[in-house]
Amino acid sequence: MKPGVWHRLDIIARGLFPAFSVFILLLLNLLPVSVPLLSTASPALPLMAVFYWSVNRPDLLTALTAFFLGLLQDLLTGLPLGVSSLVLLLVQTGSASQGRFFHNKPFSVMWWGFALVAIPALLVQWLLSSALIGALLPIKATLISYVLTAALFPLVAWVLARAQNTLLRHI
Amino acid sequence: MAQHGGPQQRIFSPLRTALHRFAFILLIVSAFGLMLLGKADTVLIERIRAASADLVSPIMNVVSRPAASINELTEQATNLFNLYEQNERLRRENRELLAWQQVARNLSHENARLRDLAGYTSPPPLRLVTTRVIADMGGAYAHSLMVSAGSRDGVSKGQAVMSDEGLVGRVAEAGYQASRVLLITDINSRVPVIVENSRDRAFLSGDNTDRPLLTFLTADAAVAPGDRILTSGHGGAFPPGIPVGVVSSVSENAVRVAPLFRRHQLEYLRVADYGLQGILSDQAIRRNEMQSDGVIPNGVGIVPNDGNDTATDMPTANPAQPSDQLP
Repeated sequence: MKPGVWHRLDIIARGLFPAFSVFILLLLNLLPVSVPLLSTASPALPLMAVFYWSVNRPDLLTALTAFFLGLLQDLLTGLPLGVSSLVLLLVQTGSASQGRFFHNKPFSVMWWGFALVAIPALLVQWLLSSALIGALLPIKATLISYVLTAALFPLVAWVLARAQNTLLRHI
Repeated sequence: MAQHGGPQQRIFSPLRTALHRFAFILLIVSAFGLMLLGKADTVLIERIRAASADLVSPIMNVVSRPAASINELTEQATNLFNLYEQNERLRRENRELLAWQQVARNLSHENARLRDLAGYTSPPPLRLVTTRVIADMGGAYAHSLMVSAGSRDGVSKGQAVMSDEGLVGRVAEAGYQASRVLLITDINSRVPVIVENSRDRAFLSGDNTDRPLLTFLTADAAVAPGDRILTSGHGGAFPPGIPVGVVSSVSENAVRVAPLFRRHQLEYLRVADYGLQGILSDQAIRRNEMQSDGVIPNGVGIVPNDGNDTATDMPTANPAQPSDQLP
């Protein structure tokens, strides 16, 4: 039986969901919030989603997608170009290759895994940004950002897992 | 997806892995290529950044409204809580301000008279564009905002951006309907300033903390905590006299300034079109090179909007104009 056009379109649209979710989280990161702490250091929401999808569905969030999402992040946030691209690309490739390790394990293992992956990711971002700007950026903001990122991961992962179960069960 | 066995599989599987590895290396190389390209700071990158701001601005414009109203609600709740205290404070402040108003009126009359006597040429009038903050690139690495005004509204690169309290930053890239504002706390921000009382000149250099540094201050400069810092107008980038901050700490190797705005409470901003094209534009540099033997001194920061004619009409006025305003 040959699937109809609509069916195929539906599958394509669902397949685009992981990349789209990273984009949404990227925009969410940009929302002006009136919390003093969050305006100096914000959680790296796109990083969480890239990690989640590379572990669970690396076929739907490829290295190329991660690269372009990073580029978009750099363009929008005014960071030196290429930094987020590199970081998200490395996170995607690294987590996708280790994805099998997390399968059929409790969620806390994945949380620990993310907390470990986020350290080099944010460190590389900090180092490269500092090198490209030509001055050492204050590490304190990066530290706060790391704590927020690691602490908020379960929330984001829960939302993404719900979405995965409803939208991507059959593809 | 992958079926095992078969001669095809045996040939294509290693090929596919090799291809994947090649693509990965290619992407890494292009990431570094992008870094170099960004470092070169071409006009192209700026255009792309502005275009990407334009791309997401319609979404952010809508999405930031509920966020703003939630913020407003929490603010109202805290206001209600502090109503009595706030009322007292405002009463006191109002009394003080009324006295200041009287002083300001007297001074403004006196100033007008003195300007008449001295034949003073007024600086160009300020055109203000009010705009809403639609995104805050709150992050550890960049201090910038996105506002919902662009070249459509007369906003262009280099213009000063102010809140009710004082200077916030400058326009880093202007798209068609949205622009990015580089805050004065960002590590890339340099603003020529003067100390209000002593009229000492300096630069306000951001370092990605909440307290930017006062740099290039002369050794004999008298700066004390509590001194107000204003834009000097040097270089023509900003209108002179916009309040920037208050000196918060003075130590041997660093003078830090507390900006007047609170970043998480910025909602509406004003972009000041000073009629000067701020930092040197490429066109102006080229024009200066062409006439380097002629009347315009090199390195002049002020480039009048209407171009060549005025520049040649008053060749010496430009570099001296901002310092004329110093007493």
